[in-house]
Amino acid sequence: MNDKRILVVDDETDLLEMVKSIFTRAGFTQILTASSGEAALKMCEEQEPDMMILDVMMPGMDGFAALKELRKTSKIPVLMLTARGEAEDKFVGFENGADDYLLKPFLPKELLFRVQAILKRVYPEKERKVFFEAATVDLEKAIVQRSGENISLTAKEFQLFEKLYENQGRIVTTGALCQAICGDFWQGYESTLATHIRHLREKIEENPSKPVALVTIKGIGYRLNIKGVQT
Amino acid sequence: MNKSERFFRRYIFSIVSIIILFLFVNILLVASFFAAAYLGNVKNSNFPIEDFSNHITETNGQFNADIQAEDMLNNACAWAMILDENGNIIWEMNVPEELPRHYSTTDVAMFSRWYLNSYPVNIWNRQGSLLVVGFPQGYVTNYYTSIKTQYVRPIAFGFLAAVCINVLLMLYLFVRNAHRIEKAMEPILNGIRHLSSGHPVHLEENGELAEINAGLNKAGDYLLKKDNTRAEWIRGISHDIRTPLSMILGYASEIEETSSLPETTRKQAEIIRKHSEKLKNLVENLNLTTKLEYSMQPMQKQTLVPVELARQAVSEVLNDGLSDKYELELSEDNPGKAITITGDQSLLNRMLCNLIRNCIVHNPNGCRIQVSVGSCDRTCTFSVIDNGCGISEPQLNTLNNDRDISSTQKQTGEIEHGLGLKIVRQIVKIHQGTIQFSDTAPHGLSVEVVIPIEIY
Repeated sequence: MNDKRILVVDDETDLLEMVKSIFTRAGFTQILTASSGEAALKMCEEQEPDMMILDVMMPGMDGFAALKELRKTSKIPVLMLTARGEAEDKFVGFENGADDYLLKPFLPKELLFRVQAILKRVYPEKERKVFFEAATVDLEKAIVQRSGENISLTAKEFQLFEKLYENQGRIVTTGALCQAICGDFWQGYESTLATHIRHLREKIEENPSKPVALVTIKGIGYRLNIKGVQT
Repeated sequence: MNKSERFFRRYIFSIVSIIILFLFVNILLVASFFAAAYLGNVKNSNFPIEDFSNHITETNGQFNADIQAEDMLNNACAWAMILDENGNIIWEMNVPEELPRHYSTTDVAMFSRWYLNSYPVNIWNRQGSLLVVGFPQGYVTNYYTSIKTQYVRPIAFGFLAAVCINVLLMLYLFVRNAHRIEKAMEPILNGIRHLSSGHPVHLEENGELAEINAGLNKAGDYLLKKDNTRAEWIRGISHDIRTPLSMILGYASEIEETSSLPETTRKQAEIIRKHSEKLKNLVENLNLTTKLEYSMQPMQKQTLVPVELARQAVSEVLNDGLSDKYELELSEDNPGKAITITGDQSLLNRMLCNLIRNCIVHNPNGCRIQVSVGSCDRTCTFSVIDNGCGISEPQLNTLNNDRDISSTQKQTGEIEHGLGLKIVRQIVKIHQGTIQFSDTAPHGLSVEVVIPIEIY
């Protein structure tokens, strides 16, 4: 993922430098910069970046106009990074084809997480494997490898696992997990979720009654603790 | 009925009371007058003619007045005479010289009710003779009235009816005037009400009260302009501060995470980063509170599950990293009960996060925070209770009063309940709910937010 080419567009040179520095420190090797909407479009044609981080207020062509123009020829993911925080601005951004909207001032980690989440979603990596103490989950094949045997994950279990994996190390609420497997009308499916969680634990935990990988946060939700990932 | 309507009703009632009082006082005065007249013997020229007659005795055709009769006559400066059947004077006392000594039937008929040569007289029928008592000229006024009997009753009723009609007419005119004033004042009172709730006002500047309307319009325009300027200023400042703050945050984080740098430098960078985060939160809070204050943030109403709302808020705080000093728990008052509410998800989430973070910020030594969700009838209750150090009684009173929370902030820099709780109160208000702060035993703070399940 770190080899993805990211174009950062902002008229503030200092900010461009800082964002470049954040990504370089995080291991990204191809960071491009542009200081205007016109320059960004030209660079898109010439360098074909994998993702764009775009400011809104720039002299000449602003971020919204540049995005509108870009969408005529390209589908690369765009994260709007702007000081304009009005709801209306966000709506305009999303209407013009933005994938995410981050308001300044931002924490470097938040910017990194959001960019990584977009890249994961748009450019899924093949042969992803998630390691736990007792088992390994192959996301491509939707199977659990344990003690030399392959155990299939049901569709619901896989959806559940993906949701938890996307938020690894963080608590995911019961409602969010129910929504992931049942859709918007999830209320009343809490016991169904508990059943799927139990089945998932039986497949990935050493001792399902004392879970360490998929832990319950009482009254709130669940958290997935992974040992490692292989791409 | 609002307060101004009550005021006008009271005004009308006071007018009615005044009229009733007025009538009562008048009746009392007239009654007093008649009583005084009766007791003072105003009637019949004040002269007790019958009594006087009794003091005149006849013996063998000779009339004699005793000393009392004489005194009575002298006290009234009066004169008296007795006429026989032929009109001749058969007895007299103090009769003026110029008066004749014989009277025809016509003379007697003429003076019996009126005057005898301009002397007002009273007469009294004695057996076979007529007693005439005369008074000095101009001493008594005699007025003779006569009316057909058939008109007496209608006139009496007519008089009563005239009094009643007058009273009713007076009442009607008073009420009509009060209504006219009320009607004229209504737009002005509505304008003041709008102004006090921060809404713009525009009144027609015509009629007798045009000057007041114009004054109110001017005041409304001024307040609106002031509000807009303040909102614009905050928005502008917060916008201009965003990019520089991003750089401070970014570079401070970078320095903090660079392990090759000296520990002191990294520690200093951490302090810069933490304070920058506070500034970031302040900018966001200022923006949100301004938007809520001036109704610039449209409410995104949707159906929500309150328990899930609380789960999201608690997990957000936990995911951001919570020190082991704190214990954060969520419980449901009615587990398994499926309830939904209508509200703005992000605002309600912000409300709960602010309340939880408030417990953390004000209890730096750690505490147990219990978040609970319940429902009752048509309301939903969110409670955030901590067993921390709590707050003082005056602070508690300030929080429970509907006063501007930020105004309680001390100038000393000491941590106080500031924008976070102000935002909470604003969010509760736009969700038509109530908020109550109280002590918890043995120590700590309890905040209970009650919002209706359906809002309009």
